[in-house]
Amino acid sequence: MKFQIEDVTVYFPYDHIYPEQYSYMIELKGTLDAKGHCLLEMPTGTGKTIALLSLITSYSLSKPQSPMKLIYCTRTVHEMEKTLAELKILHNYQIKHLGPQARILAIGLSSRKNLCVNPTVVAAENRDSVDAGCRKLTASWVRALAEENTDVTTCEFFESYEKAASAAVLPPGVYTLQELRAFGKEKGWCPYFLARHMVQFANVVVYSYQYLLDPKVAGIISKEMQKESVVVFDEAHNIDNVCIEALSVSVRRQTLEGATRNLSRISQEIDRYVFFYSRGLYRCQFLNWIMVGRFKATDTSILRAEYNRLVEGLVLGGNLPITDNWLSNPALPDDILKEAVPGNIRRAEHFLHVLRRLVQYLSGRLDTENVEKESPVGFVASICSHAGIDQKTLKFCYDRLHSLMLTLEITDTDEFLHIQTICDFATLVGTYGRGFSTIIEPFDERMPHIPDPVLQLSCHDASLAIKPVFDRFQSVVITSGTLSPIDLYPRLLNFHPVVSRSFTMSLTRDCICPMVLTRGSDQLPVSTKFDMRSDPGVVRNYGKLLLEMVSVVPDGIVCFFVSYSYMDGIINTWNDSGILKEIMQHKLVFIETQDVVETTLALDNYRRACDCGRGAVFFSVARGKVAEGIDFDRHYGRLVIMIGVPFQYTLSKILLARLEYLRDTFQIKEGDFLTFDALRQAAQCVGRVIRSKADYGMMIFADKRYSRHDKRSKLPSWILSHLQDANLNLSTDMALHIAREFLKKMAQPYDKTGSSDKKTLLSQEEMEKLGDGSMHEMSY
Amino acid sequence: MASTHVTKRAKYKTTIKDPGTPGTLRMTFEKILFVPHNPKSAGKLDVEFRYIKGKKHTKEGSNKPPWLNLTNNQNGSFIFEFENYSDLQECRDFVGKVLAKGGEVSEKPTVAYPDEQLSAAEMELRIKLLQEDSELQKLHKQFVLSGVLTETEFWATRKKLLDREASKKTKQRLGFKSAMISDIKPSTDGRTNKVTFNLTPEVILQIFAEKPAVHRAFLSYVPNKMSERTFWTKYFRAEYLHSTKNSIAAAAEAAEDEELAVFLKQDDILASEARKKIRRVDPTLDMEADEGDDYTHLPDHGILREGSKEMTESQNELYKRSLSQDINRHAAVVLEGRAVDVELEDTKAVAEALAQSKQKSSNKGESDGDTSRERLDRLSRMTEIEDLQGPNTLPLAPLCIKDPRDYFDSQQANALRSSGDALGEIEQIKCGLSTQEVYGSLRESISSIKAMGLKEPIVKPEVAHQVFDALTNSISNTKYHIGKNPQESVLDRLPRKTKEELLHHWTSILELLKHFWASYPITTTYLYVKVNRLKDAMSNIYPQLEEIKGSVPSELRHQVSLLVRPMHQALDAAIQHYEASMQKRSAQSGERPNGYV
Repeated sequence: MKFQIEDVTVYFPYDHIYPEQYSYMIELKGTLDAKGHCLLEMPTGTGKTIALLSLITSYSLSKPQSPMKLIYCTRTVHEMEKTLAELKILHNYQIKHLGPQARILAIGLSSRKNLCVNPTVVAAENRDSVDAGCRKLTASWVRALAEENTDVTTCEFFESYEKAASAAVLPPGVYTLQELRAFGKEKGWCPYFLARHMVQFANVVVYSYQYLLDPKVAGIISKEMQKESVVVFDEAHNIDNVCIEALSVSVRRQTLEGATRNLSRISQEIDRYVFFYSRGLYRCQFLNWIMVGRFKATDTSILRAEYNRLVEGLVLGGNLPITDNWLSNPALPDDILKEAVPGNIRRAEHFLHVLRRLVQYLSGRLDTENVEKESPVGFVASICSHAGIDQKTLKFCYDRLHSLMLTLEITDTDEFLHIQTICDFATLVGTYGRGFSTIIEPFDERMPHIPDPVLQLSCHDASLAIKPVFDRFQSVVITSGTLSPIDLYPRLLNFHPVVSRSFTMSLTRDCICPMVLTRGSDQLPVSTKFDMRSDPGVVRNYGKLLLEMVSVVPDGIVCFFVSYSYMDGIINTWNDSGILKEIMQHKLVFIETQDVVETTLALDNYRRACDCGRGAVFFSVARGKVAEGIDFDRHYGRLVIMIGVPFQYTLSKILLARLEYLRDTFQIKEGDFLTFDALRQAAQCVGRVIRSKADYGMMIFADKRYSRHDKRSKLPSWILSHLQDANLNLSTDMALHIAREFLKKMAQPYDKTGSSDKKTLLSQEEMEKLGDGSMHEMSY
Repeated sequence: MASTHVTKRAKYKTTIKDPGTPGTLRMTFEKILFVPHNPKSAGKLDVEFRYIKGKKHTKEGSNKPPWLNLTNNQNGSFIFEFENYSDLQECRDFVGKVLAKGGEVSEKPTVAYPDEQLSAAEMELRIKLLQEDSELQKLHKQFVLSGVLTETEFWATRKKLLDREASKKTKQRLGFKSAMISDIKPSTDGRTNKVTFNLTPEVILQIFAEKPAVHRAFLSYVPNKMSERTFWTKYFRAEYLHSTKNSIAAAAEAAEDEELAVFLKQDDILASEARKKIRRVDPTLDMEADEGDDYTHLPDHGILREGSKEMTESQNELYKRSLSQDINRHAAVVLEGRAVDVELEDTKAVAEALAQSKQKSSNKGESDGDTSRERLDRLSRMTEIEDLQGPNTLPLAPLCIKDPRDYFDSQQANALRSSGDALGEIEQIKCGLSTQEVYGSLRESISSIKAMGLKEPIVKPEVAHQVFDALTNSISNTKYHIGKNPQESVLDRLPRKTKEELLHHWTSILELLKHFWASYPITTTYLYVKVNRLKDAMSNIYPQLEEIKGSVPSELRHQVSLLVRPMHQALDAAIQHYEASMQKRSAQSGERPNGYV
């Protein structure tokens, strides 16, 4: 359908529209007009994404004189795929109605691991080895060598992409990752570098949060985005965590050991250059050099050239070829010093000495018996006094390392992650004085007998990482299904939204049924409170609840637990007591594990089991990867059971430090923040069941603590409004009764458009009437 | 028809409690003859088969003796107890054959018809169908037994019924049990510490399917390297070690015994399969891709997540296996279903069959390249918001109507509601087209088919639906417009007996007409004879219909006659056609002096 919002003609790819989508678009348009930032909460299952996409693309179509780029950030790759699929529907619709002038280029950008089509490279186990494998074939010095020596292998896809030069462009269209790969394969061009190149020209770019928030990645990829862009953070309820994680580093024993190995390798490389220089001939000294079989005419002059460059203050020697780029500086661009590298680390050997001293100092600190917490300023001071490294030197660690590795032409970057971590740590600790703390824990709180020391530099201030984004781009839209309480986010992220609104959901029928279950079938309270969680009675009651539900609810059921360890424990107990076996008689059981491959396959099987009618239960963890972005809509999830309240581990030192910071800086009470955080996770878990108004699902909050007002009231309003008073304090048998009634009711046919007084679905005509009405109002 | 008679030793009982008279049972196509061993006892029996209506028998495996119970049409029954089940089976099959053949055996039709050899299975299927559907049975009795139609003719029009029944039987296959294999609990003898595991081929198949490494080990070790018994002993030893959750002990044992290590190690086949499968996974839930894109969680970056610690430690990880892995694997195997369809007797055979089927499926998996296409389609379907979009034309499963009457009854409400406009539409469609337009559109569609090949589906679903609607409308209307009220049709107001009779006549007329019209044009003598037979049968119905009309109360007579009228019309038309064709025929034969019948 096509309709008018003030001066913008909005193209919406469906025949009907929800009224809340319409008002969402109006708010969004206001934000774009004001060139400001906004915060919008809209329930899941009301088509946020398509509303966003169609308004923003239509807005830029209506203003062809000032083209606007849309940067759409998702949390995960699979959400990226979903967004691109929706965009494709929209794009086809716009082309149908507007013709070729509506053509846009929209691409999804991901890492080499997901985009590479070179079979030898992509076969590698993990992301870092794929990145390194790519560098081995495409780095500028490797390619230069290949021109002289035909034995050196390069990547044919990259070579033909380079050969095509400016002709290598993507025709307009919407490209999912899979289609990018297919396109690359067909043309013989490297899809990754093609995508990287096309990002500058694309009208819509969809990528992960980190590509904008994490300075390490943003520094390479998002450097050249123009100011006239709209940035959208979808599903942004966790954005504060992403921000603080982007600036946090931890160092363990293994890291330090690895770093020591890396350092000796680097010094060998340096020696080789020197040796090479003195003898003037080449010896196949190192395995990898033999394999590569390279003959080099370079010598220590390279190192000298680097030294000279550093004196001039050019850390990275101007423009690097796109393939040589490594991860960029971990500190935010504004905080990086624009000056020459200090003299004491300009020479490679000197820099190595500094790093050695640093590693030694850190390993000394790890040997502590007690938990130590320090501010970065204090930490830097003690580094200075004990290891003799001053703050400025620390700050430059990362850039100096990067430069050195480029100079030494190291391609297997995946081997050097440890020293990189150390340098990240050094740079961050040297750069930031406020909003961070360093914490040394000699052992895990829960396993005090196993020494596992860890030094963490943790960021507490989410506003640091996101500040450059707010400053740089014209409009930033933060949206999610759960942003309650909505006034907290501007404080956490330190920005001033021009629009901040929470939408409710108009439902044709009560298609969600939240319940609070406080007692088991034996009327004893259930909870995952620390003192109750391992009580066999509670475990049994939870099992009974699930068992009763699997026999009543059709298709898919999802069950969220508070943590992996709790889930493992409870499943083992159920297995021993035979409850699991009984559950399996009704439905297949799938479990999220820490192994992503296995979890992905389990999810895939779960969906197939729901598709074929066998029905299945999926056990998942509230803060796990599945809860973060997998939808359990329609028959994939007719019921979600949230077992327990997913509080963070409250004894964690990092959490305590962050709470302290929040209290001192933003006057947010610890308890409030913890409850807020737990409830947004719970709401996020249960919110995954519903996708549209035609969908339906039940949500059971199984913990007695949910019945308390202070906890419950933190739930988003669209859930709260459907939580009837009668459903606040249920036992298993009552919940079962309600579930039966609800499912029976939902199975009846109904009128989709809603009753006459309360429209929940608007058609083209109704929209036009509405438009006239608002025009009418405006004229007065 | 391998044998024309069966003779068995059996006991004859008049009631179930009766101990029975021992003797010899002899069955031929015509009759059942029972002669007691003791000529003085009273149990002598001589029954003709046409009085026998049904048969029951006890099941093998139930604790009852092998009994065959034959019921006659006066609701009496003859019970025979056999010495063993094979005798019973033989007799049962024989009775089944005779009962089914019933009419045609007793009165062999004079005209030769294409004889068909029926297998016992087909026979049984027919009997089953007759037993399930009383109406069919009635028709069968009325026409086949009375000789109007032959058995073959009767079933020829119901081929579909037979096919479907037959295919249904083979389609359903048993899946795996929902219980996990770790639930196999050993039994102890109570005195020693020895435990005994009972393994059935069923369980073994499940173990092989869930643990490809065990399967591979079995194929390579048994019986060359070790006996099957030692193999399974080792397997359960390994399972025991797992259940103790002591990975250090497991590692120690594995170091000593390399065969045991096979069971204790992580399943490498599974791992490689997983890597293969992950590439075909739905991109909207591919979390592995997500990890590949996550630069914040470089090793040691970001904030430690709960649980991430456990991943890094434990050097005995090789020998660790979690319950969740087992559960996931089990569910996946159950979902996949059983690929092997062999008689489960020999473990070796099971193992080899499974290996073969795996080979096949892996070949298939490599060959089909259109899975990615399918995935994309699926993805785009999933992303659409269903209720914002107009009704979607989804691929429909073909409708299977067992009893058309039920269907039309249920359609009535819809039909009445939309009858007005639907009829109007039909009118429009009819008058809107001229011959040229029709020709044009036909040409167009032919050329489009030539250009693009046949589309799937050939007819547009909307068009098909419209036509279908219109058709059912008119059909259900004719039936219901007689009684104006859709809920209570005129039939419901008639006395039960009359109603049943009417319906029965209607179905039998339909049956006759079906055969009648199917016989035209008459090309062979066989058809000629058949048509004559059918015509006679049809003319017999007229007086019966009149009789019904006469028997109903006067206030209903009009309605009945309304109901009967279409039947009359149908019959009239048939008979008219018959007479006309007879005249033509006689005229033709008159021309031909030699005469031709």
